[in-house]
Amino acid sequence: MYLTRDEEDILAGEEGESCQKAMELVVALGKIYGAEDLIGITSAHLSGASYKTIGDGGLKYLEDMVKGGAAVSVPSTLNPVGMDRGRWKEMHIPSAFAEKQLKIIELYKKMGVAATCSCTPYLDDNVPSLGDHVAWAESSALSFVNSYIGARTNREGGPGALAAAIIGKTANYGLHLDHNRIPTVVIDADIDGSVFSYSMLGQAVGTAIGSGIPYFRGISPAVDDAKTMSAAMAASGSVALYHVEGVTPEAGNFDISGLERISIGKKELRDAYDKLNTAEDVQLIALGCPHLSRKEMKDIAAFLKGKKKKNKNVEIWFCTSSKIREECAEEVRIMEEFGPVLADTCMVVAPIEGTFQRTGTNSAKAGNYLPTLCSQKVICRDISKLMDVVL
Amino acid sequence: MILQGRAISSGKVEGCVLKLNGTFSFLGGVNASTGDLNAGGGNIAGKVFVFHSGKGSTVGSFVMYDLMVHGKSPAAVINSSAETIVTTGAVISSIPMVDNVDIDLLLDGDDVIVDGDSGTVEIRNVKIIKVVSSALLNKSGKVLMLKRPDTVKSFPGRKSLVAGKVESNESLESAASREIMEETQIRVSKPDACLPPIYVREMDVIWEVYPFLFKVEDQDPVLNKENTGYEWIKPDEIKKDQSIVPQTSDVVNKMMKHL
Repeated sequence: MYLTRDEEDILAGEEGESCQKAMELVVALGKIYGAEDLIGITSAHLSGASYKTIGDGGLKYLEDMVKGGAAVSVPSTLNPVGMDRGRWKEMHIPSAFAEKQLKIIELYKKMGVAATCSCTPYLDDNVPSLGDHVAWAESSALSFVNSYIGARTNREGGPGALAAAIIGKTANYGLHLDHNRIPTVVIDADIDGSVFSYSMLGQAVGTAIGSGIPYFRGISPAVDDAKTMSAAMAASGSVALYHVEGVTPEAGNFDISGLERISIGKKELRDAYDKLNTAEDVQLIALGCPHLSRKEMKDIAAFLKGKKKKNKNVEIWFCTSSKIREECAEEVRIMEEFGPVLADTCMVVAPIEGTFQRTGTNSAKAGNYLPTLCSQKVICRDISKLMDVVL
Repeated sequence: MILQGRAISSGKVEGCVLKLNGTFSFLGGVNASTGDLNAGGGNIAGKVFVFHSGKGSTVGSFVMYDLMVHGKSPAAVINSSAETIVTTGAVISSIPMVDNVDIDLLLDGDDVIVDGDSGTVEIRNVKIIKVVSSALLNKSGKVLMLKRPDTVKSFPGRKSLVAGKVESNESLESAASREIMEETQIRVSKPDACLPPIYVREMDVIWEVYPFLFKVEDQDPVLNKENTGYEWIKPDEIKKDQSIVPQTSDVVNKMMKHL
């Protein structure tokens, strides 16, 4: 791989040990994926934030990084953590877990990372532009910014994204390069256009193609639709980039004649739905995977306004970012009648398996991960049908 | 014997090989405070840990870091093909790592030196024996296979090309034509094709095999006592015959393309 004089110096340790280790990691990853050089990034988004997922090894790693003086050099945000920082007791979180979780957040802050702890930083404080090279982890967020915004990132892992944030560069391969952003398959989609149908569409397409770059026709996703579809496709498959005819910024650049075509309609969505639904009833309904947007907060509050929660045996969590929770005070007041509006966390990265066995969600992404990461049986429906049980 | 691979994570160390066949996930695959493999098969602490490639959760990188914190990390890692999780874990935990080496040449218990800066793996406890292995291709388009006696140590009872050790002070080509003359009484001149050596591990020996191809007339060999039978076989049928020694089909068909 070609390195500039400055990059060689960093690799030799002239900018200190933490920069040297970061450069070693970026170069090693670049090497295995055949990168020819490094490329400057404008932002990073880091995963590896919940104590539940990174464990003691990850905590020690972050402690050592901070001890070594590591600091990010580009604007960087952090993924959701294992609990709401102020309301973890309501989430039945053991205090030993909370202590370690708070430590992790502090360590990221010390490195200069904005600890807003959301999986939708593109709605708030980390918004890339068309053509920006970035280093993002969090499969749903990186797919959204690649596809809907037209920024450029590979599927970074937590430590790789942190290393890139420290040196301000990442290895130049994969989706950073024009020729790797060309669609590989055309999806002719026939859906009803509800947010939930976009979630099921993402689930069906991820299952059907695995990896690859789908080019959608027949849909016109708004931000929330694209948010849930990106998440679903990255969870049921490993899709990190898609294009939508007439909607996403790069879709017009490609000639799609000659590509394989797949039709996804009622039958495929029904199959996806059946596969995700494994429970008869639920103990917890958790909304906000990915984190609820302002519009979703408004829609949910409007739906719940004037209703009463009748079934007291089912808990309801609403998960969003702290910024959106602050801004939506009126909606939060209505929603809190039904359950806590939690910030910085979600049901997938929180240790809910200690409390619940059956969870309801409207997210195909959560439907994929709740069984494996949280040992849950799942009901996956749209919000109004989910809420039927408690109203 | 020095294998040239690709440098992934820096550092140089000598250690004893512990090898798993297939892919490996550090998350769930190993106890981070002891180094014990959860599926059995030993303890990786201080070992040169050899496996095909990483798989599973990205948390595996942090499991490698946790092993280091507990003083139980492997001394080095060797993969056939590195991926993100193990590469990340090796770099952040300062474990020397090399990939792109043929791990079939490594066995449990080998004493190796792994150099994560030059990308080399030196196997210290093997001897290398140079051999030539010649395909005789007749006018009918068939290749000669000789049947080895049941009493030889290496590949007993199997069928092979015309093979034998290279003597000291002997060129590869003359070793090939000498072996052919001894074992078949067929006279050959210049080889019509050859390949770079391939390496085959057998116990404490690595055979460094130099393949040759000679075109010959339609004729039958006159065997000496080194072989107990012979057969002319079409190159595309070699693969189907399980009694032929490994890699023969690949080697012959590659050389046919060079004709």
